[in-house]
Amino acid sequence: MGLSTDMPCQELVELVTAYLDGALSPADRERFEAHWRTCPACRTYLAQMQLVVGSLGQLGCREAEENGAERDRLLTLFRTRGFHHRGPRERSVPLGVVDALASPGDHISYFWESEGEFDAAAGFLAPGVERDEVCVLLGHAAASSRVLAGLERRGVPPDDLERRDRLHTVSGQQPSDAMLQEISDRVRTAVDRGVPMVRVLGNLGWGHPGWPAERDVLRLEARVTDAIRNLPSVVMCAYDVRGLTGRSLLLGGLECHPLTIRRGALRRNEHHVPAEQFLETLALDAA
Amino acid sequence: MSIGASASGAGRTAAHAELSLIEALRQGDEDAFGRLVDQYHTSLRRVARLYVSNRAVADEVVQDTWVGVIQGLWAFEGRSSLRTWIFRILINHAKTRAVREGRTVPFAGVAADDVGGPEAAVSPERFRPADHPTEAGHWTSLPRDIETSPEGRLLSREAGERLQQTIDALPPNQRIVLTLRDIEGCSTEEVCNALGIRETNGRVLLHRARARVRAALEPHLGRE
Repeated sequence: MGLSTDMPCQELVELVTAYLDGALSPADRERFEAHWRTCPACRTYLAQMQLVVGSLGQLGCREAEENGAERDRLLTLFRTRGFHHRGPRERSVPLGVVDALASPGDHISYFWESEGEFDAAAGFLAPGVERDEVCVLLGHAAASSRVLAGLERRGVPPDDLERRDRLHTVSGQQPSDAMLQEISDRVRTAVDRGVPMVRVLGNLGWGHPGWPAERDVLRLEARVTDAIRNLPSVVMCAYDVRGLTGRSLLLGGLECHPLTIRRGALRRNEHHVPAEQFLETLALDAA
Repeated sequence: MSIGASASGAGRTAAHAELSLIEALRQGDEDAFGRLVDQYHTSLRRVARLYVSNRAVADEVVQDTWVGVIQGLWAFEGRSSLRTWIFRILINHAKTRAVREGRTVPFAGVAADDVGGPEAAVSPERFRPADHPTEAGHWTSLPRDIETSPEGRLLSREAGERLQQTIDALPPNQRIVLTLRDIEGCSTEEVCNALGIRETNGRVLLHRARARVRAALEPHLGRE
């Protein structure tokens, strides 16, 4: 029986885990060890606990299984789905807005003309919600609030998603460098939290008050494609066919996106211009 | 008896090795990926089964986890250890599946961080009462001395069998913390990071789980 009056046995047994974790304050640690030295019963208790912890650890080691076939399958997945892989990527991301799949890293423009087509864009976020991905709503306030209302109508309450950190609304009123950084930061933060995929729905504020000039928005669009190529994300930018200028539609919508959606069909876009070339032409235009 | 707490030098080396591993994986190094599978696949399956009911679904969760790792490599910045990150991806997938299956999910909902009501590591009846004049809070019924021979560091077969049953019977939050910490060998910090809970609460859960396991095994631990 312990003679130390400093720490009763009953207190020591409650501190064992913190002690083994090195999480006791120096004072408590000293009291703990002082008691331990004088109390054989508590020494036994701690030894029992260490035996239990050691045995649990062995449970982890003992169960190494043969994963031969499984291992080969996973290696194939690595070979075909890894972003080091050149060539077309497997399409695995349901787009929701059309009955088609995209690949991680895709940058898509969505041309809409009717109000119905605009509202359908919220459908892009729906599979993400179901698969517990993160959705980012990037754009001007009027568009974002309409998309949020659209989600609500689909039975997906946006506040609940926001509370669970699954939906972020981001204003685009910042220079293209900052916006590009923000998109990539959002994706990286989500991935760090173990989220499998991030969907970004963009409604850029072409010509809206407080938004960067058209040239800067174009610079953003041109660079998004490369910025997200190796990230588990799909970015879909909505283009208002009736409201935007021909130049915004042509340069932004067509030349900056390798894929387009128009009238319910996803297509590879041969008018896409690689960012470097696009930015060079843009600079010449301005000169 | 002293328990090593910090080894920042070793920590830095480990972090450095981890960054080169991630770089190798990004370049498509299949041997590196194979080693990663060997290291974690069994663990992932074990943890997945704490969330979803059957083996087939657990295997799907694990496969989704590997796809998440493969596709997340370029976005992963090493803010946490690779192991923590992989478990975090697994737990996200497993939770999603468990919710879809209508199962109760550990650490989900508003009370995600709740550790439950008070719970004594050892029954209070085994100690002298607080008003005892000289030995308040001291053992009355002593824990039985355990074997000290090298063989004594292992559980008897009987106790080993009880061990798995005891783990299976733990409350879900305690079971997942104990599994990650003691069976998989994560640090308390890694466990709490992976589960998104506070470290103090994680340690309370670990403490209770270990105490329950010890109590259940106590009849098998001592020397007759």
